[in-house]
Amino acid sequence: MVEEITDFEVLEIALRELAIEKGLFTAEDHRQYTEFAEAMGPTPASRLVAKAWIDPAFKKRALEDPIAASLEVGINWLNPTGFGTPSDFTALHILEDTPTLHHVVTCTLCSCYPRPILGNSPEWYRTPNYRRRIVRTPRQVLAEFGLFLSPEIEVRVEDSNSKHRFLVLPMRPDGTEGWSEEQLAAIVTRDCMIGVALPKPGVTTNAVLPVHHASEPITNNSTEK
Amino acid sequence: MVKTPDVTNIRVKLLEHLVERGQVWNRMAEKYGVTNPVPPWKSSLDGMCDALDKYGAVLPTVTRREEEDNLTERQYAELPFPESQLVSLAHSLIARKIIDENALTNRMAEVRARLESCT
Repeated sequence: MVEEITDFEVLEIALRELAIEKGLFTAEDHRQYTEFAEAMGPTPASRLVAKAWIDPAFKKRALEDPIAASLEVGINWLNPTGFGTPSDFTALHILEDTPTLHHVVTCTLCSCYPRPILGNSPEWYRTPNYRRRIVRTPRQVLAEFGLFLSPEIEVRVEDSNSKHRFLVLPMRPDGTEGWSEEQLAAIVTRDCMIGVALPKPGVTTNAVLPVHHASEPITNNSTEK
Repeated sequence: MVKTPDVTNIRVKLLEHLVERGQVWNRMAEKYGVTNPVPPWKSSLDGMCDALDKYGAVLPTVTRREEEDNLTERQYAELPFPESQLVSLAHSLIARKIIDENALTNRMAEVRARLESCT
């Protein structure tokens, strides 16, 4: 816990209070969307991919009607308002990779992303740097993520917009024969479903996060018994 | 689409002051040994953006994001994400005179006093 009130924490509260007082939105709106943001994450999408890998009938349904298939992993795209969020239209496409075709997703205009099923987009996905370059030099950008594709694999970049959201269905990797849906879901990371990484046995995170070490760590020396 | 005025060249002293003070999350997290990748106010900021998008009249979604891109690359290039997202949103609302800079300054002082009275 950061035991210091920061300027940005204060700014967020003050800006929100004034916006509500000005009638730009209601406190109820804000509460509803904040709860929705708190609940979002990539887990349902990982489950959808894992389920598609082991259940051909589900995979067929997922490719034909991704919104309906999302319900089978607990995601209703009509939440939280009954008609979706204001910026997430209920239009998902699942892009199936093959041995000769690899998909990667971007949004050149802003940062459209399948939030209801994949959670909030990572910071790099929002940056103009990624959005401009992935459409021009996709292999180079993928290489910067550590993904090197052989020349015979076609790279297809899909550009999201307000009415089309995309999720990559990567190929199931070798070495996962006999795995359960849960085991498979663990290796389907967010980056695999954007298309900047491939699932690999043993890899369950997008990247190793830096660990912040406390400058003045708490000790138990003064604890009374 | 209606052409919106370019407000990215306007300077907002309050926000520039916050940038100078530099209380950004990665620095504060390191200071206190916290491992959360984003600050605790991030989901509330997301909620605010969605709530604004619901009505969209004062700041359409695409305009908001386009200005965030421009401001993040120029005026607020020093700020990491999501501080850059928050400050860009404040900039867009102040520059359009939807939110008054002085009113925001005063409200920030009130909010800080309120929060500090509980510590």
